[in-house]
Amino acid sequence: MPELLLDIQGLETQFKTPDGIVHAVNGVSFGIKEGETLAVVGESGCGKSVTMLSVLRLIPSPPGKVTAGKALYQGKDLLTMSDEEIRHIRGAQIAMVFQDPMTSLNPVMTIGKQLMEPLQLHLGMDNNQATNRAIELLEMVGISEAKQHLKDYPHQFSGGMRQRVMIAMALSCNPQILIADEPTTALDVTIQAQIVELVKRLRNELGMTIIWITHDLGIVAGLAQRVLVMYGGYIIEESEVKELFANPSHPYTLGLIGSLPRIDDNDRSRLFSIEGMPPVLYTKPNACPFAPRCKYVMDRCWKENPTLEKIGPEHKVACFVDVKNGRNR
Amino acid sequence: MTTFIIRRLLLVPLLLFGVTIIIFMMLQLLSPVERSALYVRDFPKNEKAVDGIIRRYGLDKPFYEQYWRWLVGIKDPVSGERNGGILFGDLGYSRTASQPVNELIKNRFPNTLDLTIWTIAPMILVGIWLGVQSAIHHNGWFDQAARMFSIIGTSFPTFVFGLMLLMFFYANLGWFSPGRLTDDLMQVVNKPTFIKYTSLITFDALLNGRVDIFLDAISHMVMPIITLSYISWATFLRVTRSSMLETLRMEYVTTARAKGLPERDVIYKHAQPNAMIPVVTLAGFSVVGLLGGVTITETVFNYPGIGSAAARAAVNLDVVTVLGFAIFIGFILIVANLVTDVLYAVVDPRVRLS
Repeated sequence: MPELLLDIQGLETQFKTPDGIVHAVNGVSFGIKEGETLAVVGESGCGKSVTMLSVLRLIPSPPGKVTAGKALYQGKDLLTMSDEEIRHIRGAQIAMVFQDPMTSLNPVMTIGKQLMEPLQLHLGMDNNQATNRAIELLEMVGISEAKQHLKDYPHQFSGGMRQRVMIAMALSCNPQILIADEPTTALDVTIQAQIVELVKRLRNELGMTIIWITHDLGIVAGLAQRVLVMYGGYIIEESEVKELFANPSHPYTLGLIGSLPRIDDNDRSRLFSIEGMPPVLYTKPNACPFAPRCKYVMDRCWKENPTLEKIGPEHKVACFVDVKNGRNR
Repeated sequence: MTTFIIRRLLLVPLLLFGVTIIIFMMLQLLSPVERSALYVRDFPKNEKAVDGIIRRYGLDKPFYEQYWRWLVGIKDPVSGERNGGILFGDLGYSRTASQPVNELIKNRFPNTLDLTIWTIAPMILVGIWLGVQSAIHHNGWFDQAARMFSIIGTSFPTFVFGLMLLMFFYANLGWFSPGRLTDDLMQVVNKPTFIKYTSLITFDALLNGRVDIFLDAISHMVMPIITLSYISWATFLRVTRSSMLETLRMEYVTTARAKGLPERDVIYKHAQPNAMIPVVTLAGFSVVGLLGGVTITETVFNYPGIGSAAARAAVNLDVVTVLGFAIFIGFILIVANLVTDVLYAVVDPRVRLS
């Protein structure tokens, strides 16, 4: 049994568009241990979701294509196995929850049927068993009168309830890994908190490994053990969670943390934001992709793309600058 | 669902009122003299006869009075018998067919219905199948070929394509003939021993155990069916294809894949039912179109449905028959729309509750 449950090595994903090939993920490597919660952070368009979708081969192809890398799950490469093999992993071993609960449930199928589908498919349950398990699952995610709700359609549910259903569906086959792709982004704040609490509770009950994609560092602090910060399809900082907040080492991470509103801040000035937009890369850059938006930028940043280097026991960063003193590292 | 249907049913009288008003207005476009002229021999000279008709039928009365008479008919002062009255289902007498319009419809409509029933599968189901396959193989060779093939069909004028079929299958190969049935079999059908359960020849033939009549009837419908299907495929293909492509990009399709469902189930169980919602509207319209009589196709293939009867009435200025058909088709339209609405609710649960 390998030490890492999921081991991603040098993953690259590209999209063919009319304007050229977009390099969405550029050699991403990371691993996750069993029982760990990993947060992947970055703005929209940084390649977080694409990385995770690539791992499960859910990238629409064409135009998308995984061009290099390995995704080893329990030692087997998800990217080269047969369609049939990966089908038995999707939903059964690695499950996903998506961003927008309004669109991620099938509008013309009852909640019950959608919940029962993976149960019948992966666990070979009959109708009765699946119905009972579906009721159990809905109760587990905090939906009362679950039995009546089985015959309901998604449009009869609120956003928060739909996301609970999505979570119930993802957990239905007791997966090893839950990939949550910005599951709280489309929900309002109180519901967000409820969903995060729900996932924490379920993680402790079921002992799952979780990959939580988000752009909200506030959620990360209370949930994850380790954080990946992504930018332009690269991992630019990887750290243990407390270390990241105590000692953010990439200007981008610094910017993300700086953009969080603080409750103890009396200053009524505008909330800090990083100028500009994340890049769309039509060629693999030979400069730091963050350079155009970076306030620490130096000559070297325009000539070379920094690689991820270890700067502490649980801390890696891809930057030439030591942000504490603004000097070359 | 029941309240939904009841609510729709309550609308029917209102719609019927609308239909009759519109048709009556069209009738008013003709002056009383013009309307009576059709019933007078050597018209311009015989003014007295024209006057007599105008007075007898009250064509000079105010329009609301005429409308009322048109709806309920006229009571004969002597015998007390009622004449006309579309509310009582009397659509008048057809000059061109030499029989009451009701009789004409009763004779002709079953043929149209028969053709419609047998056209639904090749036209709608094949059209949808083409669209779904095109979407799945988006921009692949099947997609390109199917689109090209169906565009050619839509671009053909119906009568040209119909004549080409006649030339090929009837004149050259002799496989299929125009008309309704072979003469000797038609005589069998008209005998009292042949029981008319449904008036639809294909079904009656099977119910009477006459497979030969069934096959003969079908073989006479092959050419109209091909024509009607081919000219409609492009529309079905286009609507289904774009709807399906849109659906395949939806997040719930990714959800279905992420669950580990086989691609077959993702497409046919998750994507297709959603993609069918706009197609139902189109299918409803198409069936209504078929039921209303397909004038050109029926005429080209000499098929005795209401389309060819209406065409004959129209070219002979048989106003009564044309109006009678208009009312009948209006009624069919209302019923068919009701059915489409209900089907809508069946495919889309969101419609059911709103």
